[in-house]
Amino acid sequence: MTTTEAQAAPDLRRGDVLSRTRHTLGRVTVTVARSIAIFVPVFLLATFVTFALRSLSGLSPARIQLGEEATPDAVARVEAQWGLDRPFLVQYWDWFTGVLHGRLGGSWTNGADISTLIGLGLGVSLSVATFALIIGVVVGFVLGTAAALRRTTWVDRAITGFVTVISVMPAFVVGIVLVTVFAVGLHLFPSAGYVPAAQGFGPWLAHITLPAVALSFDVVADVARQLRSSLIAAYRENYVTGAVVRGLSPRRIFFVHVLRNGLGPALATLGLKFPSLVGASVVTEWIFGLQGFGRFANDSAQAGDVPAVQGVLVVSIVLVVAFNLIVNLVLARVTPASQRGV
Amino acid sequence: MATLSDNLAPEETLDLGPGDPTGPRRPVLSLHDVRISDQAGGREIVHGVSFTLTPGRVVGIVGESGSGKTLTCRAALGILPAHFEVTGGSIEIRGTDIADLSPAQWTALRGTTISAVFQDPASYLNPSLRVGAQIAEVVRVKKKLPRRAARRRAVDLLRAVHLREPELVYGQYPHELSGGMLQRVLIAAAIAADPHILIADEATTALDVTVQAEILDLLADLREQAGLALVVVSHDLAVVAQLCDEVLVMQQGEVVEQGPAERVLHDPRHDYTRLLIAEHEQYGLEKFLDPKEET
Amino acid sequence: MLRRVLVLPSGRIAVAILAVIALLALFGPLLAPQNPLATSDNTLASASGSHWLGTDYLGRDVLSRLLDGSRLSVLGSLEVAVTALVVGSVPGILSVYLGRAFEWITLRLADTLVALPFLLFAVAVIALLGNGITQAMLVTGVLVAPLFYRVSRAATLAVARSQYVEAALLSGASIGWVVRRHVWVKVLPPIAVALAQTFGVGFVIVSSLTFLGIGVQPPAPTWGGLLASDLGYLSHQPWAPLAPALLIMITVWAGNLLADALRDVSGEAGRALVNSRKTRTDRPDQSEPAPTGGA
Repeated sequence: MTTTEAQAAPDLRRGDVLSRTRHTLGRVTVTVARSIAIFVPVFLLATFVTFALRSLSGLSPARIQLGEEATPDAVARVEAQWGLDRPFLVQYWDWFTGVLHGRLGGSWTNGADISTLIGLGLGVSLSVATFALIIGVVVGFVLGTAAALRRTTWVDRAITGFVTVISVMPAFVVGIVLVTVFAVGLHLFPSAGYVPAAQGFGPWLAHITLPAVALSFDVVADVARQLRSSLIAAYRENYVTGAVVRGLSPRRIFFVHVLRNGLGPALATLGLKFPSLVGASVVTEWIFGLQGFGRFANDSAQAGDVPAVQGVLVVSIVLVVAFNLIVNLVLARVTPASQRGV
Repeated sequence: MATLSDNLAPEETLDLGPGDPTGPRRPVLSLHDVRISDQAGGREIVHGVSFTLTPGRVVGIVGESGSGKTLTCRAALGILPAHFEVTGGSIEIRGTDIADLSPAQWTALRGTTISAVFQDPASYLNPSLRVGAQIAEVVRVKKKLPRRAARRRAVDLLRAVHLREPELVYGQYPHELSGGMLQRVLIAAAIAADPHILIADEATTALDVTVQAEILDLLADLREQAGLALVVVSHDLAVVAQLCDEVLVMQQGEVVEQGPAERVLHDPRHDYTRLLIAEHEQYGLEKFLDPKEET
Repeated sequence: MLRRVLVLPSGRIAVAILAVIALLALFGPLLAPQNPLATSDNTLASASGSHWLGTDYLGRDVLSRLLDGSRLSVLGSLEVAVTALVVGSVPGILSVYLGRAFEWITLRLADTLVALPFLLFAVAVIALLGNGITQAMLVTGVLVAPLFYRVSRAATLAVARSQYVEAALLSGASIGWVVRRHVWVKVLPPIAVALAQTFGVGFVIVSSLTFLGIGVQPPAPTWGGLLASDLGYLSHQPWAPLAPALLIMITVWAGNLLADALRDVSGEAGRALVNSRKTRTDRPDQSEPAPTGGA
């Protein structure tokens, strides 16, 4: 028995490596498939609601182009031009197939291509949002970990207090405080505007730092709080005792065993946090005078430019779903056990 | 059946010096009148436990839940829960009083000298790591083996605890394995760094009867092949009867009876022991007692 | 439940602050010392005897504008919370009882609403449907309703699967009776927690919207609007945003504090439910290793 096993071992090992890769691939496929299964109905429903907005709003491109005193004939002519005299479902189908091909239609105010307009603003917003996420994750991670490792000491209490304070500060309050102190008061950062990264990394970073910090507070608070409680919970688990008994060092137990399991819930929080980050960009971009995605949304909404608003919403949904997909993939990698039964 | 040493490559054979039959049998673990108190409540929970364990021997501790069995084991492992402290007596591991150990010394001692397995094995393994990696981790850290050698040795260990297809099991996560397989994995991880003492705290309690018997066989094997000294804790007298040389019967933190397993099981002196045996006779303890009578 | 909340110091603080805010909302406009809309030549004045918090860029009294604006901000966030409660918890409870189709549809709806960046959506919907705070808050309420849907559904599921409810149903009790008698009691605490949370969330959204000038007609004062008008004059009055910002933060904090206090008094069950909403990937709570151990 032993001899046959010894011979079979190398083959087995190769087969094992193969099956493991297949295993991992399979898990990724399952995660992607599950996310898409949720995504498709969400996307259909959300786009439908978004599209129905126009009918509900009663807004028309004729109002914007011709003003309030337009004759009914003129209004009808313009509406026919935009294809608004067709049945609702036909319009929806037309628009939806366009969306699937990346065409979001033309703006009512100036006829410009909405995909292009949004594309211009997205660079700004994504720069800020990504930077905010990085700040949020790094600071939140440090605070949450420190509080968990020093729990019930003054370090823990100080961090918990700090996190409580920043969690109740809405992005626009933080934004105003930051502008007052760092731009108006200390002249350390520009108070408004944006410079693309292509024109120099330094100016780019200087312009997105304050808005990113303003957006990051919420993320910092959530990540820190979640990480603290999940790390403390992880430390109470039996597998920590198991690792202690096997003679592993405290440092190793933290980094290899506790952190990995404590990270899952914090990552999941991040996925839930992203929509509010996109939403809050409306406010921060207004404060910091950034011509981004959120500003475009606000301006189009105020102008009654329905196709532009629809485009903004579609793009935001795609962003949120894409981000959640990434989070789910990372989660599947970090804590494979949590994937069953979710 | 392939035995433990058969399956291990020669240079990796479990090396347990004290198991050497020619040398003097120095105790590997000795407890002397150990008392454990709950500092928060100010109560003494365990009122004096003493026993001596030499290589290749098995000490059993029986008693109902809350009798102080687990606390005694945890004291010997240095992992008493918060507020609990050893307030009297002494525990020596291979001649060192554990009261003098620094945290770093404890870390060095655990795994290589003393190790343990517990009830509910699934919870004692990290759910997010492949089980093989968790065994290889111990080998790498405690035996300072390089990655590939550690992996090889982990697979050997999985084979040594009689797991079929150890290569496959190596790459699986705890939630993909059954309770019996997990307990084997946990044992493999516990003996990965060749400890002298293994504490099995209710290690077979939650398992099916047949699986339970297999695990007990495995423990007996390990003792014979590797000269491992075992502390077997159970509320189940049958488990203790099958495996142990010496038995301690505990009730409410008190050792009410202590002696050679055969004597305690055949000629119990304390009422509580008699009660335990009477209960078990209904479930067929005789089948364990009878073969022992022949020897 | 309120009485138990008041036992906690944090609960007392939260209730006290919210009571003051509620009084402000009720009587604030009457307390305003001056006409909040009256402009004067005394623009951007510092705090003084006649203008406790100074004046804004049109010479209007800031304190009066704060007091006058309190009603809209508070009522707006209450509207959010109540709308979300009705829109979320009714289908949440019913989803457990009304069969698979209803369950599937409501689950997908909840998924959809969660995926929408609600501030962005609120901005869009409000701007298109008409500039009114009531529409604004109704829309926001619908968008945050999934929180109530999840919480009430989780609580109901837990109760529905419990054996005493099964027993009641088997013995012929009607679904309506079971919901009233058993489900409601278990669902109420997590819903109260969610209500307090939503008040905080709603408050941030109302303030954000009014900050952007959405949902109100220009001269009418709001806390968010005050901040927005301060933004243009930061170099003249860097301290001006302090009062409205502090008021907004304290109100949100009180809402969160009340949520925490409610969670604390509603016991482990409620806490687990509320937490399970936050982190869906969390494994179900495992019981902690009992300190006194099994033996």
